[in-house]
Amino acid sequence: MGETGREEYKIQSFDSETQKLLKTALKDPSSVDLDKVANIIVDQSLKDCVFSKEAGRICYTIIQAESKQVGQSVFRRSLLNRLQQEYKDREDLRTRSLQAWICYVTFICNIFDYLRVNNMPMMALVNPVYDCLFRLAQPDSLRKEEEVDCLVLQLHRIGEQLEKMNSQRMDELFSLLRDGFLLQEGLSSLSQLLLLEIIEFRAADWKMTDAAQKYYYSEVTD
Amino acid sequence: MAARQRSPHGAETASPQSAPRWCQGRKRGADGKRRRQSQDGGAARDESSGRAADGRLGSFTTPEGPGPLSRCSDWAAAVEEDEMRTNVNKEIARYRRKLLINEFSRERRSSSGSSDSKESTAPVELETDEVVLMRRQKQINYGKNTIAYDRYIKEVPRCHRIPGVHPRTPNKFKKYSRRSWDQQIKLWKVALHSWDPPTEEGCDLQEISPVDLGEMETESVGSHSTESQTSCQDNDDTCSGTPTKVRHIDYQAEGEFDLEACLSEPLKDFNTVS
Repeated sequence: MGETGREEYKIQSFDSETQKLLKTALKDPSSVDLDKVANIIVDQSLKDCVFSKEAGRICYTIIQAESKQVGQSVFRRSLLNRLQQEYKDREDLRTRSLQAWICYVTFICNIFDYLRVNNMPMMALVNPVYDCLFRLAQPDSLRKEEEVDCLVLQLHRIGEQLEKMNSQRMDELFSLLRDGFLLQEGLSSLSQLLLLEIIEFRAADWKMTDAAQKYYYSEVTD
Repeated sequence: MAARQRSPHGAETASPQSAPRWCQGRKRGADGKRRRQSQDGGAARDESSGRAADGRLGSFTTPEGPGPLSRCSDWAAAVEEDEMRTNVNKEIARYRRKLLINEFSRERRSSSGSSDSKESTAPVELETDEVVLMRRQKQINYGKNTIAYDRYIKEVPRCHRIPGVHPRTPNKFKKYSRRSWDQQIKLWKVALHSWDPPTEEGCDLQEISPVDLGEMETESVGSHSTESQTSCQDNDDTCSGTPTKVRHIDYQAEGEFDLEACLSEPLKDFNTVS
């Protein structure tokens, strides 16, 4: 696989033993313990936010490889089981470690983004993803910049898709965000900025307008 | 829909590690390795002898219920269900296309203009009920998810199959009664047993009998499958006799090998059938 592979899948953070295991999983999935591989990937996603942002890609590749090689979905099943387990305990996770919680949300959204079933997103993940985003829109989470940042990042990446799957929940979510922006106490200026930007982004049909680009992302020259 | 996805209740009752109920009874476990009979508390005892924990016959492989989705608050199972559904939809589209193209080319060939020269071009009614198709697909998957099937397709490529001799997967898109369909599936799976790998018992008689049984089986399957497509109900008694015997012997082989039983009993049944 070489350097490009490592870059692409962002597996540098693993020790060399594990990197070898992952590479084998990608090339010859039936020869490895796929349940173990799934758990390794999930564990790492909860620790390493850089990895969790793109972990969907490596998961997708392993799933395709396994399907092609033996026509099975052992890896996918283990992955989803573990994902579901963490989802059930997400409140505890958040209490234990805010960082791990943020990593989890990033991970599950990335999985939703990448893992398709016959070119359709996984229906089973739609409501759980929404649930996570709704949690991030709660007052105690809005007061934390890292959580607001996570929330708007996910909406940028998968908001449009998510809305297609269930627009009513998206409406409800943005209702919360508007209220949060307007009424929430203890919101940092950065958080307010992030919220305003995502509200505009969605209002522009999930597209970046020139005006918004200029306002939020361009350097002030004067 | 809301109940399915939002409540973790379902997931709480089953540990993430245990296979969904409909996975029980496969010849191969989730890791792809062939299951020994003793594993999973007799889960491998599928169609043959025992009853499953909930009192249903092991051969009753089709989960009945309000519908596939409402029972799955297990993400992995829900995704597999979705995948099967979309695959089935793709297949039915392809099958319809195939039928249309056949019709089209037949019309072209018999261009004499006589409208009553066509043998069976009356529009065939297909099975389109999703619940039925999903159930049938699951049954087919059970049969295909076996080492026997793997060996079969390796040994006999589709182009070399001889109709009536080599087992053929029942066509889930054709209209059949429930009994007829279930019977076809049973016979098909029985026929596939001819390609079971030899057991580790090292009994070389085992080498012979699969071949013998194979010949006898497929003969009977051949005659049965044509019949089953019309009126399997009539043959139900005789049909159901043979498969049970063969399966029983299959599992017997894991323990003591009873050659007498292998060679004599099926022969008796075959005689009554033919």
